[in-house]
Amino acid sequence: MSSLFEKIGAEVKRGLVQIAALSLLRRRLYGYQLVKILAAHGLETEEGTLYPLLRRLETQGLLTSEWDTNGARPRKYYVLSGMGLAALPRLQTAWHDVAGAVSSILDGDAPGEAPVAADLEDER
Amino acid sequence: MTRQVGDPVERWLDEAAQAMGGDAERRRDVLLELESTIHDRVDERVRRGEARDAAVDGVLGSLGDPEEIGSSVMPGRPLLDAKRTRSFILRTAILFAAHFLLVIGATVAGRELSLSVLRIRPIADPRSFLSLLAHALETLCFDAGLMLVIHAALPRFARFVRLPRPSLAVTIDPRRTLEGAFFLALVAVAVNPLRDRLLALYVPSADGVVRVPLAGPGLLDSLLFLNLWLGLAIARDLAYARFRERRLTLALDLASCAAGLFCLLRIVASERVLDLAGAQAALGPSADSLGALMNATFSLLALATTALLAARAARRAFRLVMMRGTRPA
Repeated sequence: MSSLFEKIGAEVKRGLVQIAALSLLRRRLYGYQLVKILAAHGLETEEGTLYPLLRRLETQGLLTSEWDTNGARPRKYYVLSGMGLAALPRLQTAWHDVAGAVSSILDGDAPGEAPVAADLEDER
Repeated sequence: MTRQVGDPVERWLDEAAQAMGGDAERRRDVLLELESTIHDRVDERVRRGEARDAAVDGVLGSLGDPEEIGSSVMPGRPLLDAKRTRSFILRTAILFAAHFLLVIGATVAGRELSLSVLRIRPIADPRSFLSLLAHALETLCFDAGLMLVIHAALPRFARFVRLPRPSLAVTIDPRRTLEGAFFLALVAVAVNPLRDRLLALYVPSADGVVRVPLAGPGLLDSLLFLNLWLGLAIARDLAYARFRERRLTLALDLASCAAGLFCLLRIVASERVLDLAGAQAALGPSADSLGALMNATFSLLALATTALLAARAARRAFRLVMMRGTRPA
């Protein structure tokens, strides 16, 4: 049961990390900085999750990346692309809608609850 | 960001790279990024007061299995990754040359040569170019297939069953040494007192279930070296956990490889690793063919492992020679 819970938890978290990372990457950050900021907000993220995600977002054109070799060690910085910047407000709106809907279902006051119960009464 | 020989970060990255798909340029990009992250994490731990070695071990431990990270960051691992292609071609060429020399020997002798399960047939018509070409192609296909098993399938299988991965590189994972020693000790315990129980066929009869032992003379002859192999491998893992990569660890590994080679060569040379004669009554006429199949499988696996072990022993010996005259790290 605990492994099932962990699996579902990981799936939920993957979606959250995606939108959180996009939001944080309005400014230029490298992978480890992003891991630390996410962790500071309570979203512990493993490298095996974050790097494939960054790569996918970059392939989708939402991020751009560049190597900075001026420091003590080379670092790959990520930042939102023009497309990512345009998509972010819509993603934020979508997130707030989904978060609101899920919260209302979890709290048991979903607007669909009464009609569904009534429909069941009718079927009897 | 200089890498040192025997650097655990380098070893971790090498293992991750071996599990990565994609093209070489993208792999290099990802590896550089992972390396940078690892060093960032290490630096942070060192700033908090940890010793560098402990910090490196801690960071690598927290990152988890390098192969899992490698395959998740860059999925689509090819059957034979670019890093191993050259060694695959070279070893296949060497094996093919040796194999074809035996074919020529069989042709000159005018009879089939028998090396355990390997049967070296003479060329049907040595004066015909087509016959020669067909025989060479058949030999090459066999050798390439065997090398593909060694290079691609065995490491995957070993990882799947969580056995220590047969690697040609000098890599002993510090996080797995104690775990490895424990695993090998379990194998040693299972091999000896439980051998007759594990390697047996249980046949129902009027007197209850009868146990028919399957261990043939080939297996029994190799037991002494198998135990020596296991014992030395346990000693190597414990020594590595305590002293890391020093002469003692390498010497123990070399000795365990030698014992393993003796054990495997006895199995390869044996006609009957398993003996199904006692199971004739239970299995009927299929006992002979099943026995032949099981013995052939055993011998082929032993042959493939022999090649890996020999390469590993050669590397250890080379490393030991290179360490002569240098101060222990």
